[in-house]
Amino acid sequence: MDAFAIATNWLGNAPDFAVPYALAALGLILTERSGVLSLGAEGLMLVGALVGIGAQLSFGQPGIALMLAMLAASLVSVLFAVMVIVLRVNQVIAGLALVFFCQGLTSLLGTLLGWTNRGVESFAALPLGPLASLPLVGRLFAQNIVVYLTLPIFVAVVWYLTRTSAGLRLRAVGENPQAADAAGISVTAWRFAAVLAGAALVGLAGAYISVVSTKLWIAGMSGGRGWIAVGLVIFARWSPWKALAGAVLFGCIEALIPQLAAAGVQLPQYFVLMTPYAVTLAVMVWVALARRSSDGEPGALGRPYLREERT
Amino acid sequence: MTKPVMQASSAVLAANASPAPRGALTNRRYALELRQQMAWPKQALILAISLAIGFGLSAAILVAAGVPAGELLNEFVLHTLFDLQSLQAVLFQAAPMILVGLAAAMAFRARFWNLGLEGQMIWGAIGATAVSFFDTGPPALRLPLMLCMAITFGLLWALAPALLKLRLGVNEIISSLMLNYIAGNFLLHLVYGAWKDPKDSFPYSPQFRSFERLPEWFGSTGPAAIALALAVTALAWWFVGISRAGLYLRFVDANPRMAHAVGVPVRRMVLSAVLLSGALSGIAGFVVVAGQEGRLTQAFYAGYGVSGILIAFLARNNPLAASVVALLVAALFVAGRNLQVFYQIPFSMVQLIQAIVVICVASSDFFIRHRIRAVASKAG
Repeated sequence: MDAFAIATNWLGNAPDFAVPYALAALGLILTERSGVLSLGAEGLMLVGALVGIGAQLSFGQPGIALMLAMLAASLVSVLFAVMVIVLRVNQVIAGLALVFFCQGLTSLLGTLLGWTNRGVESFAALPLGPLASLPLVGRLFAQNIVVYLTLPIFVAVVWYLTRTSAGLRLRAVGENPQAADAAGISVTAWRFAAVLAGAALVGLAGAYISVVSTKLWIAGMSGGRGWIAVGLVIFARWSPWKALAGAVLFGCIEALIPQLAAAGVQLPQYFVLMTPYAVTLAVMVWVALARRSSDGEPGALGRPYLREERT
Repeated sequence: MTKPVMQASSAVLAANASPAPRGALTNRRYALELRQQMAWPKQALILAISLAIGFGLSAAILVAAGVPAGELLNEFVLHTLFDLQSLQAVLFQAAPMILVGLAAAMAFRARFWNLGLEGQMIWGAIGATAVSFFDTGPPALRLPLMLCMAITFGLLWALAPALLKLRLGVNEIISSLMLNYIAGNFLLHLVYGAWKDPKDSFPYSPQFRSFERLPEWFGSTGPAAIALALAVTALAWWFVGISRAGLYLRFVDANPRMAHAVGVPVRRMVLSAVLLSGALSGIAGFVVVAGQEGRLTQAFYAGYGVSGILIAFLARNNPLAASVVALLVAALFVAGRNLQVFYQIPFSMVQLIQAIVVICVASSDFFIRHRIRAVASKAG
């Protein structure tokens, strides 16, 4: 293959790899802006992925499958919300427990229900008129509908967080719950809502991997992407647009791997598979070197709130 | 001790200020208070109730997955603990479990979330296997050399997240997890590549020679592995409970800033606790390859990361308690394998049960640390 075809394929495939990171990071930002440290993304993605495949195998409507996956991830996150918001469990322990729970549950159900390794039909590519026939970048404009929808979802969440009074309340709860409480904002209710809404987006990210991208279910198929999304949020300093940029970076890197193989570049396979994790580590180090303060981090991140408690 | 009283009075004030609610049940407000302390029998009762709920839920899931309800007790207790072969398997499994549990506990004691237990285990196993693969040292010194290499490699793999956290403030949860994935892929690179056993086509290293395996006492390598794990437990107990470093660590755990203010070398303590954690994981890796598998295999570490965290959490980071909990987790693993064989229940059931138990016990802490008090309001 010549370099031109490889570049075309690479650019065309990058969005497909970037979308799960972008949606998961956006969901995490939504949750963490309310002050709840959300480490459960890896598990919620698996829930979304399994339910998405199950729904797709049963109904054959990818749109419905994605919706059900979002709903399921939200439902499972109620468990996490009750633990950290009502019962004030350490948020790291609760997040880890959620991941372990979801890993065990999805892998068990996937086997018992016989959903493993069964291929599904999914969204077809939607070429955007003449744009799709441009040289080099043409395939960027022949993506599936979810890729196109990701941008409006980002705009909507950013608009919600920064331009609406509801978004201001959510951020107030995350920055300074005492002050928000004094202003008559229910810390519990807003945090609950933020956890559920964030989980829906993470579930969508998981379902995208299984239903739209891979088109089948394998136990543990999120393969650390949820953790990478958690790292991405720290890298982006809780800013959605920076998270999107980070997701695109990761998408480009992951999309490059098969293209390199196609180009005949001989690389040790398992070192290539390490790249997303190594890059995550590298960007975490880079952001720590570049900025030593904790700007952008919600002030009350990870701290449970109790009105009667002095801080 | 004035704090709870003040909180209570402010709660009463709040209750009095609110308009009188109607109805008998709503006629009171519930105030949440922080508890300073709880008598240990009550704590034990709450723990027992939460464990009962956890195991009850797990039993219900097992029944739903197709294990006959009547067989549960038989399968889990009688068959696992009173069958000589199963009991041997439990002890066999317990040694690495104790070690990863201790490893997690050491790091958690320094408030360091070392989730890289599996990566450090992998490197420990790679270190031990390297000694065998390159045929280094005289046969008599082979095992100690393998153990030393395992400790060194595990320790070095834990050094990265520790330094990144202490020097740059990089979140150790993410960094140690990423290093797990990197170590896992490197392991695959070895067992599918240069270290592959030339005798057959499976992805594992050549079998260790007899003097590279843990000695067989009573016809199994289990007792030697258990002895090693118990010796390490005793050392950990000494370190945590008696040594000066253990005392410092308790300062760091209680309040790092205060510890620093009174002259405890906080960073050095955290670093040594994490390195110790890595070394213990490395030993766990050594025990699995030199005791159980007899070679480096591609997924020998599966399930140990979750188990280590669970053990340290349930044992409240106490080394002696960790070895007891580890024994129970080992029994769960053996029972899980039996279920897999007899009822075709996927092994992921074990992880689900572990997670359910963690969730129940973590949630029960709420009732230990808080008091829910009904505050009677002025009835209208």
